[in-house]
Amino acid sequence: MGVTVVFRKELADHLGSRRYLVLFALILLLSTMSAYQGVLYIRDRPQAGFMAIFWGAQFGFSFTYLMVFFGPIIGLALGFDAVNKERTSGSLSVLLSQPIYRDAVINGKFLAGVTALSLLGVSTITIMSSLATTLLGFGPGAEDLLRIILIASLTILYLAFWLGLGLLFSTVTKKTSTSILMSIATWLLCSIMISIIAALVANMVAPIPMPSGPGANMTRLFESPEYRELIQRRFTIQSNIQRISPAYLYNEAVQAIMGRAGGSFFIGPGGGSPFRSLDISQALTMSWPQITAIAVGLVACFAASYILFLRLEIRPGG
Amino acid sequence: MPQPIVETRELTKYYGEVKAVDHLNLTVYEGELFGFLGPNGSGKTTTLLMLMGLTVPTSGTATVAGYDIVKESREIRRVAGLLPEGAGYYEDLTARQNMDYIGQLNGIPKPERERRIKELLEAVGLERWADTKVEKFSRGMKQRLGIAEVLIKRPKIAFFDEPTIGLDPQGVKEIRDIILRLNREEGLTVFYSSHLLYEVQQTCRRVGFIRDGRLIATDTIENLSKKVAGVEGKTLEFELTEVTPELVAEIKAIDGVASVEQEGLRLYVHMERDRSREVSETITKHSSVILLMRPREYSLEDIFLKYYEEA
Ligand SMILES: Nc1ncnc2c1ncn2[C@@H]1O[C@H](COP(=O)(O)OP(=O)(O)OP(=O)(O)O)[C@@H](O)[C@H]1O
Ligand SMILES: [Mg+2]
Repeated sequence: MGVTVVFRKELADHLGSRRYLVLFALILLLSTMSAYQGVLYIRDRPQAGFMAIFWGAQFGFSFTYLMVFFGPIIGLALGFDAVNKERTSGSLSVLLSQPIYRDAVINGKFLAGVTALSLLGVSTITIMSSLATTLLGFGPGAEDLLRIILIASLTILYLAFWLGLGLLFSTVTKKTSTSILMSIATWLLCSIMISIIAALVANMVAPIPMPSGPGANMTRLFESPEYRELIQRRFTIQSNIQRISPAYLYNEAVQAIMGRAGGSFFIGPGGGSPFRSLDISQALTMSWPQITAIAVGLVACFAASYILFLRLEIRPGG
Repeated sequence: MPQPIVETRELTKYYGEVKAVDHLNLTVYEGELFGFLGPNGSGKTTTLLMLMGLTVPTSGTATVAGYDIVKESREIRRVAGLLPEGAGYYEDLTARQNMDYIGQLNGIPKPERERRIKELLEAVGLERWADTKVEKFSRGMKQRLGIAEVLIKRPKIAFFDEPTIGLDPQGVKEIRDIILRLNREEGLTVFYSSHLLYEVQQTCRRVGFIRDGRLIATDTIENLSKKVAGVEGKTLEFELTEVTPELVAEIKAIDGVASVEQEGLRLYVHMERDRSREVSETITKHSSVILLMRPREYSLEDIFLKYYEEA
């Protein structure tokens, strides 16, 4: 009972908040633009299939890229001040003086956030797909539809993870200024810095030998099996480091679900093309570790916020 | 015979090493306006938070309206309202929306909720501001909204934690009048926590003094005054045109006068029996003129300090 009341109020707050509406509008705009690019891509290469609207972005951002980049901000934005704002304003002690259990507050807030994020994710994907269907004159087949549903679910899980992390930040810190800084730092780290760090580390561990002196044969070097092995090693190091970031895990999983076996620039022995097509069960098997990792992260963040919130010393002014 | 509504037994709360509340034994009766008085950091807020089940006691027990504060705290929050210290509201919602949320959390059905909101906003004088966002409210208005929110559940007892802090004299009076009216007209039991002596004196009949988490005294204000003043003793204050050492000595010599204190042209004469007539005659005899003569009353402040000094 208490949880539904909190849920309804928090959801109404989100849906009416400038923060949410701005992010929603931004994502919607960029996503439709990326879907349009995808449509152009499919027109050029009809064999690419409908799913290319999510990745076939010739000029920069695809839907996956948008989510890797903006996903953390969207989730964190809905969570980072959920608890500490009410603590400092004093409305939390008023709220908890009502006949509800304390966990109704944190559960209600989390569920409202997840609902707002689902609304954002699902409507964006729906609008992208319908736009593409209209422009292309054909829609997704049954299998593609299933893939789209999986992508939507994974996107919700991914955004919910960031929400949970934001909620945790808002529970451990007293000031919203602290939790917003933590959120921005996390976002920069997971969306941008991590790939730079990974590249730096890879460069240190496995540097590319630069043939020095005149007359060095570059072509021979690039074609040598040692070189290919080196590049493969560098790639493995980089992706292992980047897997710290849920955004990277999400990207890997979505690529697989879209039927693209990302994961490696050079497929093992015999593989020639950078991507091979996957059916859905293969895709799920392949992306299962990533999906599990994101889910575990979500549960861990929420459980930590839940326990901390229940133990929170409710004091006026924090 | 009034029924107890709050009873604490050896209620204790430690924050690490700090004893915020120390073996508190306190009874508040139904229908009374009880003042909970103590200096900053004495444990008032901690006591209220424990009584509402917002923080757990380290040891000891207490009941509010018959419910145990640990095991049945949700039941307590159904029948008891708290206006917390530094209470806050949802600034981007209107007064009505704020109250509606609290009403919903109390499970009050919609038509009834709307009726109570209207009635209570009128009672606290906010009916004109019902649909204004709380961010535009002054402190006093927010505090009145807080009182209205406490009352929406129709509580048996209301805990107010420093409800007038930060308000101007006009605001203080408004809040006090509202609380007094609720107690007199609606029979609401009020537990009023404050560090302001004057205010408690104006509002409450029975007070509990708390210091360092310990309850030092609980009684009606008259009884406490009497105890401090000494039951049979009486002190008179005089202001004279002239005071000589001989005059002081002669007053001291009067049978029944215990002591005399001099402060410039003022004399405080402490007597075991009423000797005001003899004292005035002596003064006149020394050709001094009495400009002022009055019995010295103990203000709550004196009582307060006296109890604290003793503790
Ligand atoms: N979270 C906490 N951690 C440690 N000590 C605390 C905590 N909260 C309160 N205290 C201590 O407990 C004691 C009682 O505090 P409390 O807030 O109950 O006093 P109070 O009577 O309400 O004071 P005030 O008039 O300033 O509101 C104080 O000494 C305070 O320092
Ligand atoms: Mg206090």
